[in-house]
Amino acid sequence: MKTNSRNLYLIPYAAWIALFVVAPIVLIVYYSFRDIEGNWSLSNYAHFFTPVYMRMTLSSFWYALLITLFSLLVAYPTAYLLTKAKHKQLWLLLIILPSWVNLLLKAYAFIGLFGTYGFANAFLESVGLGRQQILFTDFSFVFVSVYIFIPFMLLPIFNSLEELNPTLIQAARDLGASPWTTFRRVVFPLTIDGVKSGCQAVFIPALSLFMITRLIAGNRVITLGTAIEQHFLVTQDWGMGATIAVFLVIVMAVIMAVTGRRRRGARG
Amino acid sequence: MNARAKGRGGWSWANLYLIAVFVILYAPILYLVYYSFNAGGTMHGYDGFTLEWYGEVFSDTRLLIIVLNTFVIALFSSAISTALGVVGALAIHKVRRLQAKNALLSLNNVLIVNPDVVIGASFLILFTMIGLKLGFGSVLVSHIAFSVPIVVLMVLPKLQEMNATLIDAARDLGASGWQVLSKVVLPFIKPGIFAGFFMALTYSLDDFAVTFFVTGNGFSTLSVEIYSRARQGVSLSINALSTLLFLFTILLVIGYYLINRRSGKITEAGARP
Amino acid sequence: MTDSTIIRFDKVTLQYDGDDAVLSDVSFEIEHGKFYTLLGPSGCGKTTILRLIAGFIQPTQGDIYLSGRRINDVPANKRQVNTVFQDYALFPHLNVYENVAFGLRIKKMKQAAIDAKVKEALRFVNLTGYENREIREMSGGQRQRVAIARAIVNEPEVLLLDEPLSALDLKLRTEMQVELRELQRRLGITFIFVTHDQEEALAMSDEIFVLNQGRIEQSGTPTDIYDEPINRFVADFIGESNILPAVMVRDYLVEFAGREFECVDGGFHPGENVEIVIRPEDLEITAPGEGKLKIRVDSLLFRGVHYEIVGSDEDGNRWLVHSTRKAKVGDEIGLDFEPEAIHIMRFGESEEDFDKRIEEFTEVGDED
Repeated sequence: MKTNSRNLYLIPYAAWIALFVVAPIVLIVYYSFRDIEGNWSLSNYAHFFTPVYMRMTLSSFWYALLITLFSLLVAYPTAYLLTKAKHKQLWLLLIILPSWVNLLLKAYAFIGLFGTYGFANAFLESVGLGRQQILFTDFSFVFVSVYIFIPFMLLPIFNSLEELNPTLIQAARDLGASPWTTFRRVVFPLTIDGVKSGCQAVFIPALSLFMITRLIAGNRVITLGTAIEQHFLVTQDWGMGATIAVFLVIVMAVIMAVTGRRRRGARG
Repeated sequence: MNARAKGRGGWSWANLYLIAVFVILYAPILYLVYYSFNAGGTMHGYDGFTLEWYGEVFSDTRLLIIVLNTFVIALFSSAISTALGVVGALAIHKVRRLQAKNALLSLNNVLIVNPDVVIGASFLILFTMIGLKLGFGSVLVSHIAFSVPIVVLMVLPKLQEMNATLIDAARDLGASGWQVLSKVVLPFIKPGIFAGFFMALTYSLDDFAVTFFVTGNGFSTLSVEIYSRARQGVSLSINALSTLLFLFTILLVIGYYLINRRSGKITEAGARP
Repeated sequence: MTDSTIIRFDKVTLQYDGDDAVLSDVSFEIEHGKFYTLLGPSGCGKTTILRLIAGFIQPTQGDIYLSGRRINDVPANKRQVNTVFQDYALFPHLNVYENVAFGLRIKKMKQAAIDAKVKEALRFVNLTGYENREIREMSGGQRQRVAIARAIVNEPEVLLLDEPLSALDLKLRTEMQVELRELQRRLGITFIFVTHDQEEALAMSDEIFVLNQGRIEQSGTPTDIYDEPINRFVADFIGESNILPAVMVRDYLVEFAGREFECVDGGFHPGENVEIVIRPEDLEITAPGEGKLKIRVDSLLFRGVHYEIVGSDEDGNRWLVHSTRKAKVGDEIGLDFEPEAIHIMRFGESEEDFDKRIEEFTEVGDED
């Protein structure tokens, strides 16, 4: 419209985008093409496609997939039951509250809980299973990760369940569908958007965890996140770290593009 | 009759499941709190009540300075990022072409969906390139940077909720451009601004990964400090500190809840990493 | 242009790139102290005219004058006009008092003066005592009044009202019509009222502008427009009517439905093709064979104040009759009407020519 004054707000905001969104990604890409002596080279990429890194990438994806799957399995019924509960807003607040507690503290708590003399082992002993090594295992890594990601999976699912028009369920029942059929044919398809954004909110961070791997998995599990941290802060091989980061950015972009487009399509 | 009995049974199973999830979610936190009063000095075998660890927290000057640093960073970064984020939301709102708007929104969301490790690593490169010394400054700048998009996302829906005729009405009544902003737009989006500030505050307080990359040697925040102490093993002063932080978090959430009570939706606040 | 002219549009066109013109070549004058209505279907450009006057948009071509001064480039906040918006646009974060005081505070008026003016404005709209209410506590009708008070407290020369009654229910709307008319008389300022409701326009206005597709089709007093619509669009839009093709045999004699009728319009070519309008309430039911026309009743609806009868004559023309007398479906009835009831419309006649011809040739004056 002619009356519009120029959009002056764009100046500081565009500056922020340029400096902290565009520049860092450009720099990461730039560094991924530099070898450890600072020469232009593709050696980082060549290195990335060796079996060592490929195995690490595969196991990262495998763990992220497991974490996402278990989060979904726990979060969906929880969200579903929450929408049915009497004081659902209060319940929801109570379930989200732990997610506001510093991540480090929760991870630290599990060191105590899963420790050799911790509560978990005391429990196992009392039911006659005896002490087990829990800390520094794949199990503890996946368990703690799922614990941390549950709220992120739960919220979008809860929201999409809340948006669901209850008369649709009544309509399905009216047309003769059993509760299970109603869920399978009506409720789940209509909340698939929430499931997708929940999976997105869990899978991408799960792929790049490094703090939990260090504290809980005790370096037994090496993920792409751990590798980046290792290269940047320990071995100082920024080029290799940047290469893995570029890979993560690409994976993220692909996931965003795929889930984003489908969602738009489903709505239209 | 049958259906009703079944329904009631389902209800109780449902509650049992919710309670189980609830217990598992709170167990670690309560475990920490419980052992923070343990005279025994380990996270197993309760040897009697003590406040010794709390005393240790309050006499640990290094830790207290780190707590102070953390809060200073959080307050400054959330204040500045709120200002920037409001400007950003206004900028996006003002763009009319849908394509340009979507492009801006996608760029805005990059720092939200990008893994922390990648953000931390790329900021480390950025700061090294432009010669910013790692420490207070670099941590502050990176916290501002990753909080801006959250504020934008909290403010933008409020702007979209605002009817465009409100601005026409203000101009019709003689308000200049600045007066329209200060007397109509900003008061209208105030809940969004508060929510954004609050989210930025908690993002900053809780951030570990990004800070870990850009913190350098001399400077530390709580998350980084807890990480390095936890790697050395269990120390009950961390438990005491967690208890205090947990209480503080509850206060923050209650505060946020009260601010947002009018809209009655906690879900908007969301969980945080 | 007379002394009492307050707003003048001079060949105003508004067009967005590549689209059809929203307004094309619109010229009109608005006088001081009258109640004007811009009437037309949605998308006809009536709200656009209001926004041009308020200054929210600027014309692509042409000039707009306020009190003799060209105001094309004067921003909205510097214009001596105020608007009552369709959705009221009350500020939700301010209470009733602060909403009304908004414009005065912008002008940096003293608190005591603001107090007095706000109180008076609220008294004007019968909202005394509501100062401290929040907007969300007010009903639709009350919000409407706050919006009016907020506008008139600034003592504008022109008050613009953009379909302000459309959100109210029928009873409240009728009440507010009376109140608005009364308010305009008391304030003595110009009201420009936008609506798509022809009954509202007829009931309230001193003058009506009928708009269609970005052009003014006809302007005049409610009776002018109702009795002498310039063309089929206006006749159709303002009230229900029977519109038939006809031929002017000569001045004051018209032929339609296979017969010749006396009429009161002149200034035509002999044999010219025209259209005639007869309003349904001007048709009187008689015994078959006694009236000027004979129709067979196809349907009958009871409308409360009258029966709505639809019938057809031998040529197949459809006739709509409003009568207090009942008729039976399938019966034949006669229809009678006065020569004055026939209004003749020339194809493609401009408003100027139309007015001139009506003045010159219409035989009967205002005595009926």
